[in-house]
Amino acid sequence: METRPLGTTGHDSTVMTFGTIALNWLEQEGANQMVEHVLDYGVNHFDVAPMYGDAELKLGPKLRQHREEIFLGCKTEKRSYEGAWQRLDESLDRLGVEKIDLYQVHGLEYDDELDEITADDGALRAFREAKEQGIVDHIGLTSHSRPDLIIDAIDRIDDLESLMFPLNPVVAGKDDGEHDYEAVLQRANEEDIGTLGIKAFADGSWPDTDELPERDRPFCNWYRPVCAPDEIRDRFDFAASQGLTSVVSAGDPKLVTMILEAAADYDGMDEAAQRSLIEGSRHDDSPVPEQLHH
Amino acid sequence: MDVPRTVTTALADRPVEGRRCLEAGAGVGNTSAGLLDAGAARVYAVTNDRDHARRTRERVADDSARSDAPHRLAVLDADLRAIPLPDDTIDLITAHGLCNVLDPAALSTVADELRRVAVPGCHLVVDDYEPPPDDAAVRDLFAVENAAAELATGRPALTFYPASFLRRFFAGDGWHFDREQTLLDPVPWTTDHLSAHADAATAFAGDCDVAVGDPLTGRADRLATEIGSESVGRMYSLAFRLSG
Repeated sequence: METRPLGTTGHDSTVMTFGTIALNWLEQEGANQMVEHVLDYGVNHFDVAPMYGDAELKLGPKLRQHREEIFLGCKTEKRSYEGAWQRLDESLDRLGVEKIDLYQVHGLEYDDELDEITADDGALRAFREAKEQGIVDHIGLTSHSRPDLIIDAIDRIDDLESLMFPLNPVVAGKDDGEHDYEAVLQRANEEDIGTLGIKAFADGSWPDTDELPERDRPFCNWYRPVCAPDEIRDRFDFAASQGLTSVVSAGDPKLVTMILEAAADYDGMDEAAQRSLIEGSRHDDSPVPEQLHH
Repeated sequence: MDVPRTVTTALADRPVEGRRCLEAGAGVGNTSAGLLDAGAARVYAVTNDRDHARRTRERVADDSARSDAPHRLAVLDADLRAIPLPDDTIDLITAHGLCNVLDPAALSTVADELRRVAVPGCHLVVDDYEPPPDDAAVRDLFAVENAAAELATGRPALTFYPASFLRRFFAGDGWHFDREQTLLDPVPWTTDHLSAHADAATAFAGDCDVAVGDPLTGRADRLATEIGSESVGRMYSLAFRLSG
């Protein structure tokens, strides 16, 4: 599978990153098989978070077995110094490893959160201490919030080495600043910050819960994903051809093999085909940006 | 409103800024918006479809993101075969998705008019669709639409001209060929597009004898439903200019 430099980290990430939230929906044996399956395709970048149910625990056994093959990204939703340290310790414990390669601020949503994490007693102080202690190698940030907030974060966090944000044909076709994640990508590339694309497979929002109760949704993603093999391939090719370092797989395990196949076969997408996807979804609603947690 | 990438791509290498532009066949104003965003001094959006004219005004002129648009955009409710503009007044002409709704006779008359309003050195951008491939399902729907249109009006609703044909056609009218590029490959014929074509077929069928019109309506609706959506074919952009 193609690899690309993840900013200044020195790591070359595969063009697909495994979103290990998929493991949360599997029993341990199935989770173990899934990790072996993903590694068989050569994927070398995994992403996990304590908010992904049991994903950290279920990733643990195979992560420890294959630790040298996996560049591990983890995250914290905590914004304070103490909270971030606590979450980091918990993640190390749950994963059963001594070091996290990339530790990320998880789901930045509001301006005041950026103030909080960059303050003297903010989460980033904990990140930096952990880095000095060799527990964390690199610092990143994830968000599916406003593009201008993510760019603000680039301006205010000098040691940021990776960013995770949405990119798909639906947002690419919208001209307003609210959906301008391409500006984030451009800025990140100018700053040599690694970029991880999420929501590449988002097709839209779920219908209202009155119309479709959450328990009746056919996929566990909080958005409605594309699910046909051709659509998955088109969406992967689109995201991977935008200049991202890597595209994060969708969170539902039913989609993972199709995404692996697309990633393994990826050999670029010409501009007319990219425009075709944008044009085909030009009138669709986008589930991002979205504040999920408040 | 969002300007389609097809429009921004087709205009990207054209000198729009400060120019007097004509959007031939305004549709719902996508290219007018693109021309305004690219700095056109003036955009004349010409359409003989009242609904399109109204929607162009609403979508482009009333868009708060283009606060000066009302001063730079004039939507002309007129037939392109008799453009209500003087000779030698336009610096850049766009025909984005226009030619496929012009039969050869109309295309010829419209081309004469475009040539008449163009100043020496004028640029022309023609964006359209190659004929869909033989095995494309959408061909069946377009065939029904054309059958209904022929029976109702004596003319086809849709004529897909190959890029090579329009290149030679406009070159024969004195336009010097600049470049060709592919805007879409494949062309995403979405559910909304196919539904609109089925509606058009139904409208034409309504003007036919019931014995013929009703089956055509039924066939159009059935095809639109069965096909759903299909990505197939190519949309191209041709650019020309007149000698200065």
